Amino acid sequence: MAITGVRTPPQVHRFPQSKYIDAVRWLPPLSPLSKLAVLAIYDTDADSPSLETHSISLPASLTPHSQWTPPTRISSLSTSHQSLVAASTLSGSLHVLSSAMQVLLSVDENSGFHVGPISGVDLTGSECVSVGEDGRVNLVSVIGGGEFKRVYDGNGLVGFNCVKWASPTEFVTGGFGYGLQWWDLRRAGSGGPVLQFKGNFGSQGKASGMIHSVDIHPSRKHTCLAGGSSGTVFAWDLRWQQQSIVLSGVGTGEAVTHSLSESEVWEVQYDCHTKSSNISSSRVLPAMFCSEDGILAVVEQGEEPFELLAEPCAINSFDIDPQNPSDVICSLEWESIAIVSRP
Amino acid sequence: MIRFCPPLNPNRGYELAKGTIAAARRSAEMVWLSPIAVSGGNIATLDKGTTCSSWNYCGQRLATGSTDGTLSIFDSPDPSSSSFTCNLKTKVHAGAILKVVWVPPEFGDAVACICSDGSLLLWEEIVEDAQPLQWKLCKSFESTSTQVLDVQFGVSSTSLKLVAAYSDGHVKVYELLDPLILKNWQLQAEFQNAIDSVTMFRKASCISASISWNPQKGENQGSSFVLGFNSDTPQLNSSKVWEFDEAHNRWLPVAELALPEDRSDEVYAVAWALNIGRPYEVIAVATQKGIAIWHVGANPELDGRLSVEKVALLSGHGGEVWQMEWDMSGTTLATTGSDGMVRLWQSNLNGVWDEQAAFQPTA
Amino acid sequence: MSGENQGGAIVPYSEEAKKPVVYPLRHGLKPPISRLGISWSRGNSLRVTVFRQPSEDSENEVGGKAVEVRLDGRDGEISDAQWRRIAYGSVSPFALLQSRKNSFASLSKISSTTSPFDAEWWEYVLEYSKDISSLLGNQTSTTQSLIEDPKEVLKKDPEPSNLKAAWELMESFYADKLSQAWLPERLVDWLADYDSLFSSTQETVHSKLVDFQKDLVSLQVIEDEPKYWEVMSSALAVGWLDIVVKLLRLHGSYQLDQLGNRETENGLVEAVAVLISKMPRMRPELEAGKLGECFKAKPDFMKAWEKWRAQIAKLECSTFWIQCAHRQTQEGLRNMLQIMLGNTNNLCTLTCHWMELYIAHFLYIRPFTVGLESMYGLAQKCIQLKPMAASHRLMGLLIGILGENIEVVLAECSKGFGPWMVTHAIEVLTAGSHQADTLLHEERDNLGGISMEELHRLVYAQVLSSHPLTWQIAPIYLTSCIKQGMGLLEMLLYKQPVDHNQLLLKNLEICRLYELDSVSSNIMKIAGMYNWKHGKKGSGVYWLQQARDEARLNRIAQQMFDSVGRSISDENFRQWEGLIQLLGSEPKTAGGLEFLHNYRDFKKSLLQIRDGKTTDAARQAVESLISLMKNPCTPQRFWLPLLHDSLKLLNWEERPLLNVLQTNLLLNKLQELSIARLRPDFIEADLPPHALSSVRLALATNLGRTTLEEQ
Repeated sequence: MAITGVRTPPQVHRFPQSKYIDAVRWLPPLSPLSKLAVLAIYDTDADSPSLETHSISLPASLTPHSQWTPPTRISSLSTSHQSLVAASTLSGSLHVLSSAMQVLLSVDENSGFHVGPISGVDLTGSECVSVGEDGRVNLVSVIGGGEFKRVYDGNGLVGFNCVKWASPTEFVTGGFGYGLQWWDLRRAGSGGPVLQFKGNFGSQGKASGMIHSVDIHPSRKHTCLAGGSSGTVFAWDLRWQQQSIVLSGVGTGEAVTHSLSESEVWEVQYDCHTKSSNISSSRVLPAMFCSEDGILAVVEQGEEPFELLAEPCAINSFDIDPQNPSDVICSLEWESIAIVSRP
Repeated sequence: MIRFCPPLNPNRGYELAKGTIAAARRSAEMVWLSPIAVSGGNIATLDKGTTCSSWNYCGQRLATGSTDGTLSIFDSPDPSSSSFTCNLKTKVHAGAILKVVWVPPEFGDAVACICSDGSLLLWEEIVEDAQPLQWKLCKSFESTSTQVLDVQFGVSSTSLKLVAAYSDGHVKVYELLDPLILKNWQLQAEFQNAIDSVTMFRKASCISASISWNPQKGENQGSSFVLGFNSDTPQLNSSKVWEFDEAHNRWLPVAELALPEDRSDEVYAVAWALNIGRPYEVIAVATQKGIAIWHVGANPELDGRLSVEKVALLSGHGGEVWQMEWDMSGTTLATTGSDGMVRLWQSNLNGVWDEQAAFQPTA
Repeated sequence: MSGENQGGAIVPYSEEAKKPVVYPLRHGLKPPISRLGISWSRGNSLRVTVFRQPSEDSENEVGGKAVEVRLDGRDGEISDAQWRRIAYGSVSPFALLQSRKNSFASLSKISSTTSPFDAEWWEYVLEYSKDISSLLGNQTSTTQSLIEDPKEVLKKDPEPSNLKAAWELMESFYADKLSQAWLPERLVDWLADYDSLFSSTQETVHSKLVDFQKDLVSLQVIEDEPKYWEVMSSALAVGWLDIVVKLLRLHGSYQLDQLGNRETENGLVEAVAVLISKMPRMRPELEAGKLGECFKAKPDFMKAWEKWRAQIAKLECSTFWIQCAHRQTQEGLRNMLQIMLGNTNNLCTLTCHWMELYIAHFLYIRPFTVGLESMYGLAQKCIQLKPMAASHRLMGLLIGILGENIEVVLAECSKGFGPWMVTHAIEVLTAGSHQADTLLHEERDNLGGISMEELHRLVYAQVLSSHPLTWQIAPIYLTSCIKQGMGLLEMLLYKQPVDHNQLLLKNLEICRLYELDSVSSNIMKIAGMYNWKHGKKGSGVYWLQQARDEARLNRIAQQMFDSVGRSISDENFRQWEGLIQLLGSEPKTAGGLEFLHNYRDFKKSLLQIRDGKTTDAARQAVESLISLMKNPCTPQRFWLPLLHDSLKLLNWEERPLLNVLQTNLLLNKLQELSIARLRPDFIEADLPPHALSSVRLALATNLGRTTLEEQ
């Protein structure tokens, strides 16, 4: 892969776990000397899932801190600035925990919450939004004691894979057909999303694809970053709703797009560490993604993308440390964790 | 792990060394069964009165039937888990369920149940009209005078076929009309398991039957199966390979898997091995004489028949063979029978079939 | 009775081997057991269902158990998690070697001069072997720590594994071309690293040392202890020179307060220590901290060896021994000299395992041994002298290697170390031996036309397939199998569950990588049906679209039609509308959906007419109707229901909405329909019996009206 300029390669620390890591997220550190991350773990030997916090001090150690056993395997994980962790499960329950793995709130799967697995959760402040393949969108208030509010029920005719808050009243969801939906709780009466986008990147024989992850930059809530099938990473600017800006993947646009990956992009995040050369508000901020074919890379509109990791196995999830954006934690398919420290 | 453990005799060191070499050389002939480490353990606990079970295509769901007509479905919420719990019980019949068979996954999650009165029921897991997920009866094949003994499904690119063997020696092939609904079946053919298609054996009485489809995936799948009976009519017993003749829209017997002197032997079980690249097919047939391994030619000869060769006769279970299953590469045959053992069979590099391991259930 | 007389003595074992091993299958059920059921699960794990005969007495008893038996040749020595780590780690070296092999093969096609066995290839294989070896555990020889405990003679190494020991044997004999000249010395090193592995079944020099290490702390006058001398001699016999010298220096005569009156004694001890540390070794180099003097060339080594032996002999005859007052020291040291002089009896008593004696032979009796044949002969002699109490899988492998019998080596790898070992060791074997290359690549009819190499890879791939986390790496091995790999891969992919989205996508990604389009569409079909039937109709249709399953999509379209066709205001319609909306209208989607889109537009207009009765909406509805009827995608069975729905349009009160041309088109369609109804396969729409006649009447009336209007 061509690399522009002289980039110092990042330092990579690997921690084999002998357990499958479903998801990773950073948490605010407990002490200034070490970092804290929460891992959604599945131990195939013992057939048991767990949610664990680990304190990390580079270069060498990853030490288990506290632990909690969820009813079933974790399907999605989200952390807030207040050291809260929201975890959803394959059986359809949602749990909010403190960073000491104390359960603050649980929504039972039998309460009519979701049908089947919850595919995405996002926690901000005191509100948690959850979406599922069942087409349901639910709101849970952290201070509400386990009650939930149904925002939408797609009755299985639609399904969602991921969700991200844009503001305290707005969020974006992603799902089938490269579809993105913008929701506004103030206009919830309409019973559906306020705005919708359907990507049409299927020029190469593939009929369509899915969105697996969305992100919104706190300072630019009008631009949704999305990643999904066929290595697609694109931005959807609400101001130009019918178009999208393809950052990576098998784009159809006339502009040449770079494609580092051709497989599923599992997660995308805006990367505050990479300094953009052009900070015009019409340009999409630099973004990082991880993929099934083992790529962790940064893409930027109009720039050459660059790889941070190229693994022989899938990178299933990653998180950029909000406290120190040069550090990225990733979970690898082959039962290990990698921490990438950028210079 | 199979370890070579000769008797302890410190005075025979040199022989030991030679013995090691000899044993190793002999095992070189059988290398392909990987040494067996028996690990794992209990993965599901069944209810009282359970008589039959069946795992679905990916081994993530278990259906069991019991003497009181209850169908139970075991599964786990996580696709990586190998611990299964019963999440559903539904009474499907007044009498006992004798056999359950999963419908191929291309047609949903459904099972066929053969019941003690000889009827055949299709039950399906489905969400309908805003109702929660439930198991529903979608088709009942009733027959007044005869009983269904075995049923197996064959998938072709366009349709699903169901072969049922009846206690009067008849075979019926049904075809699913609508790939979305398991309700409408059309009788495509009805015949007896005899090479001579003219003679009808009217008073046949069959105890059991065994059907196995050619498990090939892809273009030509769902077009042939092997069938054998355990009956009082010698002509019906021997296993025959039936192939669908597209041009004339009929089923033809293309091979008989029995030597002339063995043709009347009652057949306990048949199993068609997966073929991942062999130039010939392999079919196992169990009779009271033992388990025969047959090679069946891929292409018909001038008379339309397939060439067959019996390559081995294995004796193991003593009496009746209950079930035979080929592994995913079609090289290892697992069998179980009235001696209460599970046995594994393979052929060595010289093409000689032999028993490689046995499992004895113990409390 | 000697072995030679039996000419290979196979007899006692053949009968035993015929009986298969019977394994217990623990299920924990009370007897009686009525029946068993079997089913192959992932890879080569077998599921056995045990049914219990129901008894009258107890109420809540268990009726049966399902038990899983994994036939994966796993070794208890290595944990499951560690096995997986090895499996993951071997993927890259294996894949790299295969791709190099392929490029070598294509190179040698161009120029026939390049053979895959040239020097460059050896380096690749060695690199591969080192990569694999590094996965099996850390190098056992650890670097010395700065603060050394003088009494710690034996380093606490991480537990060495049999697997790593076996791999190192394979590497030394087959992969490392450079080590061929000094194989005996490689074996000396090998035993130093792995002698402890034999301690479980019998006493070894290592276990002696371990025991002595424990006593060492409590010993006051070490040189009075006979065990001290015995252990040192044993260690010397197997060439652990650094340990011997270290132990010697613990001798009491080194203590400052005693140095004065034990000068001669100390001189002798030191002389032996120096001789030991100057032992000539025929090898290119020694690791740091190891003693001896290395010689690469045989003549130099011979010269040095003779000189060294002469020095030992000279010391042996020295008069200083008489002046040595300490009897144990005198005897102990002279014993050690005997060892270095190659006294067979001493060597035999001081070593425990035949392998130790074998190494002692290399070091002190036959230092110039070269060639596998003489090494094999020597091994046989040593086994005769020191019979094994129980056979050991490493010894089986070593004897196979020394006996130059590739089949035995393969069998021992497979039997002792399992499918992972065979599959990966084959690469090393074939590079090291032409015999192996021919044996392993020959296509065999008895194996269905595949080679043994392919067979072993298939077996290993099946083992990988047995675990939910390792099945994804099986394709790497399967795609290196030319004949049956793809067939097995297809089966493997087909047998993966589809109900978990992420797994499903990982599965499809493998299909994409290996261009298995038909498999992938089959998997998507299964996923589509699963979702469709489980209340997730949106994803159901999505997957069926991805699978391009026209047949099912058309059926779905018909189902949609059926459910919306009955009554326009049905709540269902809104749902369907949402579904159609979200699925979008890509140009390539199945015909059924394209039809549905048109149909949706048509229905919408009809709804508007009913609500507001506007002529504009009616015109729009007519446009939609005409385009639906013209479109070849519209199934014939929908023609009549569509026309029947449009009766209101056909009988529009204000003025005829259809022109002559349009009316004629519809009449023609109606005619076509009447003919089609005569065919046996025609499916009658669920409409009132007079539907056809009322449509015909309406169309006829319309034709009349519109003809009048157009004139």
